[in-house]
Amino acid sequence: MLKTNDLGYWYDRQENSLFEHVNLEFKSGTSYAIVGQSGSGKTTFLSLLAGLDKPRAGQIELNGEPINKIGLTNYRKSHVAIVFQSYNLFNYMSPLNNLLTAMAVTESSHRGDKDYAAEMLRKLGITDEQMKKNVQKLSGGQQQRVAIARTMCCDAKLVVADEPTGNLDEENTKYVIEQFQKIAHEQNKCVIIVTHESDVAKACDHSYRLSKHEFALES
Amino acid sequence: MNFFKRAWLNLTAKKGRSILLILVTSAIMLFVLAGLLIRNAADTATSNAKKSVGATITLSANREAAFKKMRSSTSTSKKSKPKLTTSPVKLSDAKKIAKLNNISSYSATVSTSANAKGFDAISTSSSSNGGGMGMKGGMSSSSSSGDIAISGVTSTASTSAFEEKSSKITKGRGITTADEGTNNVVIESELAKEDSLSVGDTIKLKATTGSKKTYTMKIVGIYKASSSTSTEQGPGATDPSNSVYTSYTFANTVKGSKYKNTADSVTFNVSDPAKVSAVKTAGKKLINTSKYSLSTNDSSYQTVKASMDNVKSFADKIVWLVAIAGTIILALIVILMIRERRYEIGVLLSLGEARWKIVAQFFVEMVMVLIVSIVIAGAGGKFVGNKLGQQLVSQQTTTATTSSTSTQTQGGQPGGGGGAPSGGSKPSGNMNGGTPGSSSSTTTSQKQTELDVSVTVLDLVELGGFGLAIMFLSIMLASGGILRLQPKKVLIE
Ligand SMILES: Nc1ncnc2c1ncn2[C@@H]1O[C@H](COP(=O)(O)OP(=O)(O)OP(=O)(O)O)[C@@H](O)[C@H]1O
Ligand SMILES: [Mg+2]
Repeated sequence: MLKTNDLGYWYDRQENSLFEHVNLEFKSGTSYAIVGQSGSGKTTFLSLLAGLDKPRAGQIELNGEPINKIGLTNYRKSHVAIVFQSYNLFNYMSPLNNLLTAMAVTESSHRGDKDYAAEMLRKLGITDEQMKKNVQKLSGGQQQRVAIARTMCCDAKLVVADEPTGNLDEENTKYVIEQFQKIAHEQNKCVIIVTHESDVAKACDHSYRLSKHEFALES
Repeated sequence: MNFFKRAWLNLTAKKGRSILLILVTSAIMLFVLAGLLIRNAADTATSNAKKSVGATITLSANREAAFKKMRSSTSTSKKSKPKLTTSPVKLSDAKKIAKLNNISSYSATVSTSANAKGFDAISTSSSSNGGGMGMKGGMSSSSSSGDIAISGVTSTASTSAFEEKSSKITKGRGITTADEGTNNVVIESELAKEDSLSVGDTIKLKATTGSKKTYTMKIVGIYKASSSTSTEQGPGATDPSNSVYTSYTFANTVKGSKYKNTADSVTFNVSDPAKVSAVKTAGKKLINTSKYSLSTNDSSYQTVKASMDNVKSFADKIVWLVAIAGTIILALIVILMIRERRYEIGVLLSLGEARWKIVAQFFVEMVMVLIVSIVIAGAGGKFVGNKLGQQLVSQQTTTATTSSTSTQTQGGQPGGGGGAPSGGSKPSGNMNGGTPGSSSSTTTSQKQTELDVSVTVLDLVELGGFGLAIMFLSIMLASGGILRLQPKKVLIE
């Protein structure tokens, strides 16, 4: 569903490009891991897929349509859900309101459905009591689960995550990866996870390594 | 409209910050409200001043033209003695002018004098002419003056002396239009005391000019002139207590048959002082300007207007100054707030929220703060407005009094017909060359110096408008930050 055509990116000068002529395809119902050394450009690549930045060369197509044609804001709103290492929740809201707000902003088909949001949170092990507290009173693992529940409430078929387990312990990491697998396989979404943890990469259906400015399929 | 809910959640979740914002906004709104209150009060006071002070137009003989004529006749025939001939105002002309728009009423004044017969006029030692029987006045006037000054009026109530309360009816009644054609008279209390006269008694007056007839007058009222009236007497005047009021018809009779249906001057009250010059222009078309002149007197109105305009422009400046300062302060606060909330904005942007909706959320938050602040400012505004209003009034009254006093001193020119209190003329008698006598020293401008400072719904609505504009401007100034914010930078770095 998502294709990169000759994608290239550099910050200051083209000679120092992080990657060029990247031609990858990501399918729905599948999970992908992107691994690579620190500073190789994984986050940069993901931000292009997420529509947070424009590529310097080439383009990204969603189901055959260039995303800059859809409009980056519109693309983020309707087609992509993002999970970050630092959770990126509204810190002045409860988990429930975080989900409801995201559903309203993205105009999700479940918009306004409080019960659906609560169900998703329960699925990720957030208790009814926790979901009404301020998110800042939750642990890191709990907050990341809220962020994942948020992607499940939105209609976006593409889920991108940058080091989603970076701040989590082993147990939580395992749990979160399981959830991402479920999202890919049960909700038939395309999940792309940037990680430096080999356990996470192994759990995914496919794994790409970014090294020497090129992406190589590992498994 | 999800941003409404977000705004509400944000304000209620961050209570401390919201309270601080409300306090700052309340302070700014309070200042704006104080300015608005004073400005509105000054507005009301100005329109009240228009109503209470009023302005007049006086129709009288054109002395300037008469002087010119006299001079030209002297130069052609040197033998003849220079003679100033002025025509008395015809009442038919006055009636035409009275029909013009914005003229609410008019009163005619005829001044003359007669000698007391069978009773004593009051003689003042300082007077240059001891008012004995048949003694002529020391003035160069062609008509001889008697010891009793007669003010023929349409009604005493419409004369400036009575309007400004420097003269008061103490017994009986004043002269009204019903007294036209009668020999009814109103005399001063000192004269009444001196001659043991009371309401219902009759006195006799002997004309000094014309027929030199003796008239029997019926006293219908006694008035008391305040002492201040006597201070500005012209040298040709007899004691002010010798001034009597009659209907203008009687004064004309005393002057002689050719004065029938005329007056020395006719004063028209203009209901809207702002229209004075327009009325004057219209009036000029109705009269023979070579013989008569129309003079306006809206000096009291102008004095009040000027002092009120001062308050108003001061209040205007306060309003604008506070509005601008408030905008700057709030803009800085909003800019700081937006910097602090970069992360939240980044999350919204990553979810694909439109930038204008993020700006709208901030605006809604500030409007919610504004509503609470207006309630607080409304409660505090009355207090602040009152204090400021009092302060301003005490300053402005001083100015008004000073300037009106300076106008007063021009009044009271000695006239030809003996010292009657000035008839229908308003405080500054400088326009009425033919009208003799004293001018009262009361200042009409002091009447409307109370600024009514109370908070009305309209004030709050106006304040809300100002507040909205301030909020809108400061959000606009601060929103540049939101519109330029790159979600990638916020979220990834
Ligand atoms: N805003 C920027 N301006 C200039 N250079 C940048 C900027 N952001 C990142 N870089 C550089 O681009 C390179 C790739 O950065 P990126 O964050 O994509 O790496 P990464 O693969 O995600 O690393 P990590 O595993 O440590 O998260 C780095 O060398 C970094 O220094
Ligand atoms: Mg990274």
